[in-house]
This record gives sequence, C-alpha cells and structure tokens, in this order.
Amino acid sequence: MLDLVEYAVKLASDLGASYGEARYHGINGFTIYTRNGNVMGSGITSRRGIAVRVVVNGALGFAATPELTRDGVRKTVEKAVSLAKAVSQLMKKPLKQDDSRLGRARYSVVARKPFDSIPLDEKVNYMTGLWRNIQGSTKEARIPVLTVTYNEWTEEKIIVNSDGGYVESSIPRITMYYNMVVTSPAKGSLQRWEQLGGSGGLELLEKWRLHEKLPEEVGRYEEILFKALPPPTDPVDVIVGSEIVGLVVHESCGHPSEADRIMGREAAQAGKSFIKPGMQGSRIGNEYATVIDDPTIPGSYGFYLYDDEAVPARARYLYKEGVIYEHLQNRFTAPFYNTRSNGAARAMDYASEPIIRMANTYLKPGDMSFEELLESVKRGVYIKSYMEWNIDDERWSQRYVGLEAYMIENGELKGYVRNPVLEVTTKSFYSSIDGVDRNLEFYAGTCGKGEPSQGVPVWFGGPNVKLKNIRLRSTVG
Amino acid sequence: MEIYKRILKEALDKGFQEAIVRVLESERTMTKIANSEPSVVQHWRSLDIGLYLVKDKRIFIAEVRGLDPSGTEYTLNQLFSIADKLRESELYAPLPEPGKPVEIGNLVDKNIDKYIEDPSSLAEEVINTAHEERIDYIAGMIDLKHEKEYIASSKGFEGMHEYTSMESYIRAFAGEEGSGQWSTCSTKLRRDKLAEMARIAARYAVDSKSRVDIEPGIYDLILSPMVFGNLLDYISYMASGFSILTGMSMFIKNKPGDKVASEKFTLIDNPHEPELPGSRGFDLEGVPTIRKPIIEKGILATILHNSKTAAKFSASTTGNAGWISPEPWNLIVEPGDYRLEELISEVKKGILINNNWYTRFQNYVEGEFSTITRDALFFIENGEIKTAVRKIRIADKLGNILRNIDGLTKERYDVKWWEISYPTRAPYILVRGVNTSKHTI
Repeated sequence: MLDLVEYAVKLASDLGASYGEARYHGINGFTIYTRNGNVMGSGITSRRGIAVRVVVNGALGFAATPELTRDGVRKTVEKAVSLAKAVSQLMKKPLKQDDSRLGRARYSVVARKPFDSIPLDEKVNYMTGLWRNIQGSTKEARIPVLTVTYNEWTEEKIIVNSDGGYVESSIPRITMYYNMVVTSPAKGSLQRWEQLGGSGGLELLEKWRLHEKLPEEVGRYEEILFKALPPPTDPVDVIVGSEIVGLVVHESCGHPSEADRIMGREAAQAGKSFIKPGMQGSRIGNEYATVIDDPTIPGSYGFYLYDDEAVPARARYLYKEGVIYEHLQNRFTAPFYNTRSNGAARAMDYASEPIIRMANTYLKPGDMSFEELLESVKRGVYIKSYMEWNIDDERWSQRYVGLEAYMIENGELKGYVRNPVLEVTTKSFYSSIDGVDRNLEFYAGTCGKGEPSQGVPVWFGGPNVKLKNIRLRSTVG
Repeated sequence: MEIYKRILKEALDKGFQEAIVRVLESERTMTKIANSEPSVVQHWRSLDIGLYLVKDKRIFIAEVRGLDPSGTEYTLNQLFSIADKLRESELYAPLPEPGKPVEIGNLVDKNIDKYIEDPSSLAEEVINTAHEERIDYIAGMIDLKHEKEYIASSKGFEGMHEYTSMESYIRAFAGEEGSGQWSTCSTKLRRDKLAEMARIAARYAVDSKSRVDIEPGIYDLILSPMVFGNLLDYISYMASGFSILTGMSMFIKNKPGDKVASEKFTLIDNPHEPELPGSRGFDLEGVPTIRKPIIEKGILATILHNSKTAAKFSASTTGNAGWISPEPWNLIVEPGDYRLEELISEVKKGILINNNWYTRFQNYVEGEFSTITRDALFFIENGEIKTAVRKIRIADKLGNILRNIDGLTKERYDVKWWEISYPTRAPYILVRGVNTSKHTI
C-alpha cells in the first residue's frame, strides 16, 4: 500500500501541485445491536481507500477513491489537481502550509485482550445479559426499552506528504452505547443515553462494568422519577459533575479554540467562534479555568501520536489559568498565527478531508476530595449527569439539563432534584468556578464537524466543579 | 454478470437463505466556500457495496467500500463463519414479495455532470449574487452528485435507481452581528434556486445587523422552512416504527388515527416528487415506494415501516426500508394560504426565526427538547417586525409545537443542510405560545 501512497504524492508534484499528501485509511469494524435482551442484528464495516490532498496555485483540492490500484490513484490525483486549479482563480488569499517538523514513524496500540480473544457467543451473552441484570431493579416503574450497541473497530493509516512526512499507525477501539427508558403511568418517564469508548481491546468491557452500573442506574432513575423535586430558582452554588464538565469544556473551550473555525472556515457548518483572531492572552475565566486537549493519553478514545498531516501530537493548553492560551492548529492555519501546527488534523475515514479536531479535552483537576467540595456548599445543587444540551454557533450561550441531580444542604447530599437546567455563557461558567476536586473522569463521544460531516472519537472530562451563585431553571412539563 | 447479481449469487451459494445486495456507484464534487472564496474542493468517485443477509433468522448487515471483489467474498466468509454464534433477530421477518418499481420520470440532469467536472462558475455565481447585498462575506457549500444504485434480492427483485442532485447552503454575514442562512436542493442543476438561496441568506444578514436582547418567555413563533425543516427531521424520525421500538419516539403512546397536531398541518412523505433528490421508485427491500401522509390534518396517519418493523406492529410495509430502520424519502408540508407578511400580521408578540441548530432531546418519549437559534431573528409586535434580536432557545415539547400550529404560508421552499437530513419542502409556519429560554448569567 505504501507504494501507492508514495506514487500519489509524487504524481501530485509532477502535475504541478506545490503540496501533495496521500493517506491510505482502512477501517474494519464489527457491531452487535440488542434490544431488551434480544439480538436485533449484527454488522461488518469495511472501508478502505486513499485520500489525496493537493495545493495548486494556493487552492486546496481533495479527492478520494476506494480503488486501490495505480490507475485508480492516478485518476484521483488528477482530479484533485484539476479541481484545485479550476477554483484557484477565485482565491483571494492563497493557502500556504507551515514548516512543522514532521514525523517518520510507525506505531500501534496493542490490545491487552484482542477482539478475537473472546468467542462471539460470549460477547452476545454479555450484551443480552445486561437486560436480565436490570430486571427487578425497580419496584414500581417499568423499563420499556433498553437498547445496547457494541462496536469494535480497527483503524489503519499510512500517511505520506511531499514535505517528508511518513507515518503508519494501527489503533483498535471499542465503543458501546445504551439507551434506556424508565417509566411510570403516574410519573411520566426518564430517559438515559450514554456512550462509552476507548482505544484498546476487550479489557475495556471489564473496566466499564456495565453489569453492575446499569442496575444501579435504573434503581436510581426510578427514585428520581418518584421522589425528585423541582430545583431552586434563586441563586445557589452548583456542583457540576465531571460528565457535564467534560461536555462543557469540549463545547465551550475545545470547539471555539479550533483555529479553522476562528478563521471562518466552518462558518456555515460547525459555526464560528467567540474567540476572534488576536484574542490569545484574553481572560475568559478565573485561575481554575485550565483546559487541556491531549491526544496522547494511553487508552483514550481520541488517542493518536501523529496527526493526519504527520505532525507529532502533544498536549495543548487551550485555556490556561483563565486565559485563552493556545488554539488547535493544523499546518494550513498555523501560518496565519505565526506559529506551527500542534497536530490537530484528523480525518474520519479515507473519504474525509483532514480538518482540525479535538482529541481528549479536559478541565485540569485540583487536589480537593469530592467530600471537601461538598462541604463547602451550604445550599446548592449537585448535577451529576445530563440528557439535553446545546450551545450556540459561536460557542457562548449553552444549556445542560440535569438527569441525576441532588439538593445540597450544609455540605450533604439530600433529596433528588428533577430536571435542573444550567444555562450559562462561556465566560460566566469559567468565571464562576469556585473549586475543583481531584476526581478526573473521562467520557466518550463522537464529535461532529466538517462537510460532509465527520464524526471522530473523542474523550472529554474533568473533575467535579463548584460554581458560585448560579440561577438554575426548570424545564417545562 | 453485473457485480450486484454476482455477489447475490455468492451469498446464496455460501448458505445464506435470504439476501439483498446494494451497489452504489457515485461521482460527486463539493465546493466549500468560506470568507467568500473556496476553502476546498472535494471529489469522490466511489463504489460501495451493502449486504443484507439472513441465516436461520439471524440478520447481518455489511458495508464494504472498495472495488476489490475478493473483499466482498472475504466479508461473506467472515459473516458466514459467525452466523451460528449469533441469535435469531427479534426483528426478523421474511423479505417481502418484490413489486414493480414506480416510474417517476427522469431524475438525471446531464448539466450536473458538467459541473461535477468543474464547479467553479457556480461557486462564483453564488458568491457574486450574495454580494449584491451589502454583506461582508459568505460561507457555505455546493454539492453535486450523480448516483446509480443497483439492488438485487433473493426474492427475485432487480432494480436500478439513477439520479442527480444539487444541494447547497449559504450563510451570509454583515457587520458585527448580522447573519442569515438558507439552503436549497433539487435533482436538477437549478441556477435560479442557487441565486434565490444566496439572496435570502444575504437579505437576512443585512436585516439583522443591529440586534437587541430579548427576555425569554412565551412567544408566538414564525419558523422559517430552515427551522421547521429541522423539526420535521425529528418528527419523521419519530414516526418510524424502529424509533418507536427503541424508545426514541414521542409517538410511542400513539396509534394511527390519534390526533397529534393542529388540523392545519399535513406532512407527506412523497418519494415521487421529481424535483426532490429523495425520490425513488423502490425501497431497499425492493418494495415499490408510495406517497403517504405521515400526519394528515393533525391526525397521525402512517407509521413508517419496512417489512421487519411492520411485522412487529402487525402492519404492512410502507415502502420506507431502510434494512433495519425505516426512513422517509422526501418530506413535504402541505401549504397554507398566507403570504409571509400576512402571517407576521397575525402575531401580537412573537419572533420570526431564520435558522437553528443543536436540537437535543431531554426525553424522546415525552418530546421534551430545546434548540438554539442561529442567524437572523426578529421581534414582532402588533403584526409588525420591530427589531432584530439576539439568540434565544426554543425549549418546549415537540408535541406542543405540532398542536399549536396556527398558520402556514402558500410559498414553500426546498431545503436540506446539516440540520435537515431529508429533502424537505416546507412553508413558513406560525406556532402559538411557545416556551423560550436563555442563559441566566
């Protein structure tokens, strides 16, 4: 395969491209879908192909083909070059790429328990057993639906570009999704959806302990359904659980820190950013507001060591002690900032253009215990998990509706709170932080961006975070 | 032998008892625009193979992207080797008897092929048209596609579906705050639609340059086809038998015949509208497609089914397969009798909303959701637009939105973009008394 990729890059140069890049990208995956303890079906995904990017007269051309022959690759390179040439007449600011030091490397993630180390029927038993496990977890409420999806996949890449980059990699990943509804004729219903994910093998299933987690959750949701009271609507201290903190930092720090978004490249798709060019160094929060995006965390869902432009990955401090510090860059945005790429270019599959993406984004933890954080609240609410959420296209006004939430009185968790709504701006969130504990937890997600839209695996997380004086809302109904 | 028939034969020879093979041949060029210039032009030539296989009521789906025929054989072997280790599918139903595909007419426009080769003049035209207004810049994309789909099933169905499509959306920016977005779609190369899209987006941008804050509360809302089109995505998704089975639908408690919306509202799934790119004569199980109301004059009329969900509901397939999950093809809202100005004049205190995104559900079964506006929105008082206002959320139950529809325009627009998955023809609609929300600090 390497010879085809190298051929594509050489041909691009021969056809007049000032930059050429080719990526073989193969994904092989296997999925099982279950509903209420029954298997609905199973599936295989196999996507293999070569993507080519070229710069001609300052315009960027991209073409992709699943035809892994010299002829198929030739046509693809020719198409990328001819289309870039055609639209280059409309370019006002020709593109250029930075002079990042590029990797020449091979790496792979080794699964401790490879996908084939457990027979398929055991995997099926694992999945269908989850339904049996939650039976009897409720006293009165019914559970009309539990769907669980299991997905294992391996991603292989060979990346070569005309600036000397060459990286081969292989990463296995597992992800699971579950959706459950807990309902009562008198009290209505609650719904919980969660994704788990990581890089590695079947050892992840042991780590997630879904057989213990789901029955506990179901019982708790029944209690919330029957016992939870509306949240206070006067200003109170709010402890935001790490699951929500992770989503907050992904949405209101990671996304607005993408340099391509700041420069308007995603303006009609993933939106713009409240961060404008020249805002590096501006204050966005207090000293607790340090957000890091790090692709190199072992076992993480967003793991990689080199990005899809062959730039070495490293931790990036997006907000540092309350200040907008560093943006996520690729080799095409970096020159506008007089900097170098920090390795954020990723593509979903061979048919996708590498664009700036997060990897594993988290708020830096502190050294308090959760109990200490709790003790510091006289009257407040602890929101542990969420269902509904959204944020505006500049990543400023955001909303999270709590699912599992508790009243806090004199430092102790009291009764359940129903549907508290945390609706804040980015600046107010990062400026209201009054304490963080040391319990750094990560959650898996599939982050969408680009056109055609690309979903890439990410982790997001953080510690539990205390916010001062927050006015919560309550949802209708 | 054509590749799809050969793979079908291989699958049956291997020992699968039922099979459908789908081969998708596609040529596509997308021009992305940012800051009023192309940010990238992307091209795909692909041949994707989809397999639906059954052995002893166990269901397998495979997606293979690649031209290497041995790849498919490898996949078939892989699936066959695990066939006995899986369990019978809860959803299993025998494949339906195939029908004769419906003739829709020509869905192929050769002009699209021409611009797939070089879309630069279209991009230039869209940029220039938008800049006829006093805007700063635009972003967006123009997506051109020519697709041939071949399907063969073990029930003896063989069909070919060929179409071209043009999909585009443009977002225009003016001043510090002004922005507007619009989209369009067609099976034909329609310069007039591209120009109209660019003009609407640019006009909204200019009109919303100066904005004021607005307090959240209960308002009458006029939702543009871009906003209502997004909500229709969720409404039609929830009308799928699969969504009901998996707890992702507010119609879980309903049956056809139940009143679920205002009697002014009728939503049709029409796969026979030759202008819209979702049109087709047969579904993925080889069943002829039909025009059908999903909601008719406020009554839930049809749950969308393939043969499997239909069997679960003791119903018949509606020609909406989706091997696992049924889906609509083209969503069409029946028009009302208002002009937009007349609709505005009906509002005492309300908001006209151009666009939205991030519609997320707190609970699908209850239909509780919120979505955040983006681009232009205008405060309406006593029947007149007073001022452009800043972002706000719609935060209500989707069922309430449907029940409170009180007016629709005659004029409809064909829209599709990031937040609208299906080709949709929708008017502006007036919804009474909708709850809105906004950040508290």
